[in-house]
Amino acid sequence: MLAQNKDTITRLNEVIVSDAKLRKFSSSQTIHLLNDSIISKNGALLTNLLNYNSVIYFKEYGRGMLSTVAFRGTTASQTAVIWNGININSQMNGSTDFNTLSAMDYNYVDIKGGGGSVIYGSGAIGGTVHLNNDLKFDTSFSNELRLDYGSFNTQGISYKSHFSDKKWSTQIGFSRNYSDNDYDFPNTFDWKGNQRYNENGEYQVNTLNANIGFKIDDQQLLKLYSQSSSTDRNISLLSSSESRTKYKNDFSRNLLEYNNVLGDWIANFKTAFITEDYQYFPDNTMNQFSYGGTKMLISKADVSFQANTALLFNTILEYNKTTGEGSGFGYHEREITGVALLIKQEVSSKWQNELGIRKEFTNNYKSPLLFSLGSALQLTKGYQLKINASHNFRIPTYNDLYWEEGGNPDLKPESSYQMEIANVFKHENLMLTQTAYFNKIKDLLRWVPGNNGIWSPQNTDRIEAYGAETMISWKKEIGKSIIEVNGTYAYTISKNEATGKQLFFVPFHKITSAVALSYKKWSANYQMLYNGFVYTQSDNDPTAVVPSYLVGQIGIDYQVPFFAHSKIGVQVLNLWNEKYESLENRIMPGRNYNLYLIFKF
Amino acid sequence: MKLTRVLFVALSIAFLSSCTNDDNENVSKGSYDNGVFVLNEGNSSGGSVSFLGDDMVTFKQDVYGAENPGDVFGKYMQNIFFDGDKAYIIAGGSNVINVVNRYTFKLIAKIETGLVNPRYGVARNGKAYVTNANTYSFANPATGNIDDFVAVIDLSSNKVESKINLNATANRIVLEGDKLYISEPFNNDKVLVVNTVTKTLESPIIVGASANTMEVKNGVLYVLASPFGGASKIAKIKLSDKSVTEVVFPAALKGAENLDIYGTKIYFTKGTGVYNMDIADVQPAETPIFKYTSTSQYGVMYGFAVENDKVYIADGGDFASNSKVYVYSLTGSLQKEFTVGVAPNGFYFNN
Repeated sequence: MLAQNKDTITRLNEVIVSDAKLRKFSSSQTIHLLNDSIISKNGALLTNLLNYNSVIYFKEYGRGMLSTVAFRGTTASQTAVIWNGININSQMNGSTDFNTLSAMDYNYVDIKGGGGSVIYGSGAIGGTVHLNNDLKFDTSFSNELRLDYGSFNTQGISYKSHFSDKKWSTQIGFSRNYSDNDYDFPNTFDWKGNQRYNENGEYQVNTLNANIGFKIDDQQLLKLYSQSSSTDRNISLLSSSESRTKYKNDFSRNLLEYNNVLGDWIANFKTAFITEDYQYFPDNTMNQFSYGGTKMLISKADVSFQANTALLFNTILEYNKTTGEGSGFGYHEREITGVALLIKQEVSSKWQNELGIRKEFTNNYKSPLLFSLGSALQLTKGYQLKINASHNFRIPTYNDLYWEEGGNPDLKPESSYQMEIANVFKHENLMLTQTAYFNKIKDLLRWVPGNNGIWSPQNTDRIEAYGAETMISWKKEIGKSIIEVNGTYAYTISKNEATGKQLFFVPFHKITSAVALSYKKWSANYQMLYNGFVYTQSDNDPTAVVPSYLVGQIGIDYQVPFFAHSKIGVQVLNLWNEKYESLENRIMPGRNYNLYLIFKF
Repeated sequence: MKLTRVLFVALSIAFLSSCTNDDNENVSKGSYDNGVFVLNEGNSSGGSVSFLGDDMVTFKQDVYGAENPGDVFGKYMQNIFFDGDKAYIIAGGSNVINVVNRYTFKLIAKIETGLVNPRYGVARNGKAYVTNANTYSFANPATGNIDDFVAVIDLSSNKVESKINLNATANRIVLEGDKLYISEPFNNDKVLVVNTVTKTLESPIIVGASANTMEVKNGVLYVLASPFGGASKIAKIKLSDKSVTEVVFPAALKGAENLDIYGTKIYFTKGTGVYNMDIADVQPAETPIFKYTSTSQYGVMYGFAVENDKVYIADGGDFASNSKVYVYSLTGSLQKEFTVGVAPNGFYFNN
């Protein structure tokens, strides 16, 4: 066991993971990793990557527009997005818009189903999405430039530079994505017989990234992660007479981390400063807007102690101060102090137990005692059993508490009790994971119209969500060719306890599959997505549904011989030219194309 | 021979003409003659219209969708007004008025330009007058509350021909003679008066805060106002000289809504209760005629009307599912209930 611990330390010399907790304290849950090679096969914005490669259901208001998720039958604000270990869901609306994130900015993306509030805080109910930048100390200098050009004047540029030696590791980069996004709706005409198209759909997403690591000595490490991004999107119209509106978001995320290894003790201090701002323009020809923004300071002291070969203790003390100001909710401050204790027991290399508890203290709401309890047991060489139970929550947002008029300062957090069992089978190159879960959520927040027609949030509903997820992956090398197959299937029931009806915008079925082939300098991939129908009304009116759809995309690239590490590639999206939408009347594009060049130097 | 022939022809004509007369009386002008339209505000992807026949049996949940398949009806349906054989349906969230034949509900035209957050409309002499909320103060604090206007629409071309700036907020509108009377409950304590001939504002009538539903009867404009925390009242405005008298409600009737005059009585609602008073009464009784049972905590009496000796109630439900319309007798016995669309907010009688 000690030897294994040493191993981990030696490995630290090469790659420093940004989110150590995910590796150390989540072994009883299923983590689905998407590496950079999968990231590069998908569209620039995060929605496309996750939609085609995970069990998460996406609701997209048209291509490139607002994109929110339902994970394991929960709501958009019950999936937490974690950037290098820090929860970045909006303090204003509780959720993350996946089309404001550019997938190329991260080295890999992890998807963890199920609760995670003990480690990641509010919103980790349905699951968590982890955006990670790892630091390599491998004495190298490399650059990568990717250029994309596609249908509807869609342009992308992404640049990453990596420089490191034994002491320093730096990654800097930027990305920019732009699209006119004025695609025709397949086979859709207005009442006069004119072709309908996506009007007022222009978007751009720009980001700047810098990640720096500095080894002070063998024990001490300093890390800085920094990202700023701005998105400027028009909001596409249902009909051309609608007001042309737009939405601008700015984000800045900075995290400074100090790590000191002292024998069996590891002390880690983090300070993060996260800001988000939005401006909404009800008429984008005029400079009139409503706005809102929050600034959040997070300080964490994290001390872990390896008591003996089998027991690891970790205490976390956290302080978090948010100030928010907006035309809709005035000025408010929120302070939250949190304490957590995590224990990991390694009974043997085949059996790990985990326990975590967390409690938050704040004047804003009553916070429950959160816990997580799990075990991972390798029963045979090819079979691992994982069990996990947890109590998680989602705190009311600035909008929920303070919106003028309608904000409700007396709200309770949403809370959930859940449990899951996962079976992991491995046989040679084949891996199959099957997870069954049950999740009971109470005090679900919903905005409902109150007196005088003013909408106000209330802790109204109770939800019972349960289902099964299957993930399969297989990889084989035959001579000079590699074949790789991945698939996911999610079966989801999420019903309102009072009515017994399925939550709207939660599909019963979602399937994804991907096949990738490479031979010498050529590689090709095909990805497919099936989304079952969703109800759009809470009464499950069978005539008010978004129908199921099956869409595919294909990509081929070629390593240019005279420019050793460079590639040229083409993608055909919506290959079968399916007319589909993920939200009523928000029609997605038909078959469209993307060309790209990747230079490595 | 000749005579019989003449007689035959004469008889035939008489018979035929009597037949045509009969036909004129009874022939249906379309599927939706003789009944009431229920406007369903809908959700962010669009609203709908339901139809309930006078026979209380004929019913169709989505009339517009059935008659105009594939068309985008519009978001946040706000109001319907009629002119001749046409109905004008205002989609507030889409800046559009769908013009349909009121009996067949087939789309004739769309008024698509010149409207900004349109609310309510009236028509007369080939023109329609539609209030527009224009910008809102949440994004435009400088002029959001003073830029509302009336769009004047030429009904022969279905185009907005001019606009009348109101320098205030505007919502509900009624037409009497040449004058428009406009109320708005949140940011306006006056009833605005617009002369449709000169297209200018005349001096407004001060009625106090929260004036909302209105109706004209015998030269008097009745305006129901329910200020937050204060007593509800009806302002009676004599239109000939704009003099105002008030009926102040007892404290128990705070929050009264939905004024509708039927016969000699003023009907209104409070919570789930339906009340009435004689037009001449100085105060309404505190007890309701009847109450309905609502499954909705938040959408009680989302739509209300009294017509055909019946009381029509629309319940907002949870605003995320199909909701209900209840039809009661004037004395409060439930006659029928129907499942309509999402968030039904008004009744429009097509007779």
